Amino acid sequence: MSSLFGALSIAVRALYAQEGAIDATSNNISNVDTPGYSRETPILTEAPPLDLGQISMGNGVDFGGVQSIRDNVLDLRIDQETQQQSQLTSYAGYMNQVQSLFSETQGSGLSDAINSFFNSFQQLDGNPTDTPTRQAVISAGQDLASAFQQTGEQLTAIQQGADQEVVQTVQQINADTSQLADLNQQVSSLGANSEQADMLQDSQYQVLNNLSQLVDVAVTHASNGSLTVTTTNGTALVAGGQSFALSTDTNASTGFQDIFSQGSDVTSSFNGGQLAGLLEARDQSIPTVSTSLDNLAAGIINAVNSQSLKGYDLNGAKGANFFEPVVQPSPGSNAGAAENMAVAITDPSQVAASSNGTQGDNANALALANIQNAAVVNGKTATDFYADLVSTVGNDVSTATDEQESVGLVLTQLQNQQSDTSGVSLDEEAANLIQYQRAYEAAAEVVSAVNSLTSDVIQTI
Amino acid sequence: MGIRINPNPMADLLSGLALDQQQANQAIQELSTGKKVNQPSDDPAAEAGLIVNNAQTSKANAYLSNISTLQDSLQEADSTLNSVVTSLTQAISLGTEGATGTLNQTDRNALVQQVNGIQQQILQYANQSFEGNYLFAGTAVNTTPFVTDSSSSSGVSYKGNSGVNSVQIGDGQTVPANLPGNQLFTASGSDVFQALSDLSSAVSSGSNVPAAGTEVQNAFNYINAQRSFYGTTLDRLTTASSFLNQETTQLAQQQNNLVGVDMATAASQLTQAETALDAAMAAGGKISQTSLLNYLT
Repeated sequence: MSSLFGALSIAVRALYAQEGAIDATSNNISNVDTPGYSRETPILTEAPPLDLGQISMGNGVDFGGVQSIRDNVLDLRIDQETQQQSQLTSYAGYMNQVQSLFSETQGSGLSDAINSFFNSFQQLDGNPTDTPTRQAVISAGQDLASAFQQTGEQLTAIQQGADQEVVQTVQQINADTSQLADLNQQVSSLGANSEQADMLQDSQYQVLNNLSQLVDVAVTHASNGSLTVTTTNGTALVAGGQSFALSTDTNASTGFQDIFSQGSDVTSSFNGGQLAGLLEARDQSIPTVSTSLDNLAAGIINAVNSQSLKGYDLNGAKGANFFEPVVQPSPGSNAGAAENMAVAITDPSQVAASSNGTQGDNANALALANIQNAAVVNGKTATDFYADLVSTVGNDVSTATDEQESVGLVLTQLQNQQSDTSGVSLDEEAANLIQYQRAYEAAAEVVSAVNSLTSDVIQTI
Repeated sequence: MGIRINPNPMADLLSGLALDQQQANQAIQELSTGKKVNQPSDDPAAEAGLIVNNAQTSKANAYLSNISTLQDSLQEADSTLNSVVTSLTQAISLGTEGATGTLNQTDRNALVQQVNGIQQQILQYANQSFEGNYLFAGTAVNTTPFVTDSSSSSGVSYKGNSGVNSVQIGDGQTVPANLPGNQLFTASGSDVFQALSDLSSAVSSGSNVPAAGTEVQNAFNYINAQRSFYGTTLDRLTTASSFLNQETTQLAQQQNNLVGVDMATAASQLTQAETALDAAMAAGGKISQTSLLNYLT
């Protein structure tokens, strides 16, 4: 049987429900600029009706808490694109530094030094006994050696920069994973639909997005709301309330930091995020450039030395090595050839211009000059090999930059889409506010009406 | 509810602004450097082409400089030989004079004096140097090539060598840079000093003068023939030099095509990028700062 008090209790529940809805609206408005915040909607459901024998009576509204509006699949896509973008950004950053060493149009780079060096031999073959001309050959050789040295040293410096950033990135990853583990713990101790759990979930996703900038992650959602995170290659990062810190340790042979997870070396297992970009630059691309540079230096050194040994100096003595010979750290490796390049002779008369010991003979100088046109490294002339090296570096940067741009566009698109779904619109909140306010006022009217009716009833007594 | 539209377009706007700004910066860099390739990644193939182009330009300039040095030294040698030839012409007419039977010993001695003077003169010419290097010493450019030597029948002996240096004037193209003195002045059968020395003794004794005169004539013909080396080589150098000059012009043109900027294109790109940037900024200013809340009282 229905009663006035039944109506009163329905109206009071309506007041509660509208208060809850206004709360949610207020919270949305407050967080309109909060990064990672997903708008919340109140869950209003019709209360189970009262069965009164033959008839059912409506029993008002139930406030079932609030629900964050987020699209988990979209979040995942955003994280994936973020990983790729951060990887490309950090990679392109370092390779940009590398290419600046070879910017021939800006006047940096080795081609001037290479050309001047061989030109100095051309000058020498026109005037093989002239001391200033011989001195010019030695100077040009020293310039070439120091150009190679500097380029080699700068490559190493760029590599070291990447190495330091690897360490910082690992520290950031550890900070994020331990924060996520904390959040997991808190979320799992709360009920599924509590408002607090929703808020924590926003934080979880925010941390996850930060983590995606640093490293590639694969995420598994547990039913209690906690997130299990590994790298895409399966290195554990977070499981429930526990995080697994990565550590770094110096690799004795390279001098760079290797990355370990629970004792095993995972340095080469990363596929995305800033960390992968840094490692790709540090361990693959820069070493490839260094190796080419060393091979080029060694090619020039060996060719010039062997031709010098065939000749004779101004005093008729057998020619000596022009450059300090290449010391191979292991068979077939020219590592360090560029950084250690140096001219071995100091006395201009020692330049081996003559092919037969006669002072004025120039045939060996001519042969030395013609090394410029000879295949000295990988079957190519020094110039062609160097041109290949520079265009490879350029292509590398240009590909990474293009990809970075296109991933950036995709990411913006996805973020817009996410904002379409989860962003707070003040217009919408204002409309909702009016709606909830009116509903609240109406419910209050009902209370007032019941009050007046009950007072009527009381006065009749 | 209708379709939800992204309520915060600011992020989208910012990335648009960044792209426009980047395009504007690129155009500004191109305009300010005059180059459309400012780093290898702008156009890796052009950068590689530039390196090869630089090497070719540098080689061409080295060849041109070789040619210029060589031209100077060959011209010097040629004009020296011209003087030698002039002196030999005088010797020939002295020989003709000495062959006339009406001369007395005093006359003949005077002629001998003159012939010996010519030999000394030619000895000086044969020791001519250019920029500190003897022109006719073979490759032994620091050794005085011809010295007076009483033990030699001609009174002169050759201390140089018979080496010939080659100078590069193009890829795989060399020219000989000198004629050794022994080939020019003391070739067997055409030894200039021997001929003059024979003429001197013939005139002095009054016998065999015509034969000695013929010997000088032969030496004269021989040197004149050898001189063609200089003419031919100088011609080759002139040809090579004009070819190389043409090549460097082409290389400069090619370099400009590779990395040079088309000012008109870059300027219009800059205008476009700036227009886009202005438009995006104006759009940003128009993003509504008001919401429905402003209209609720």
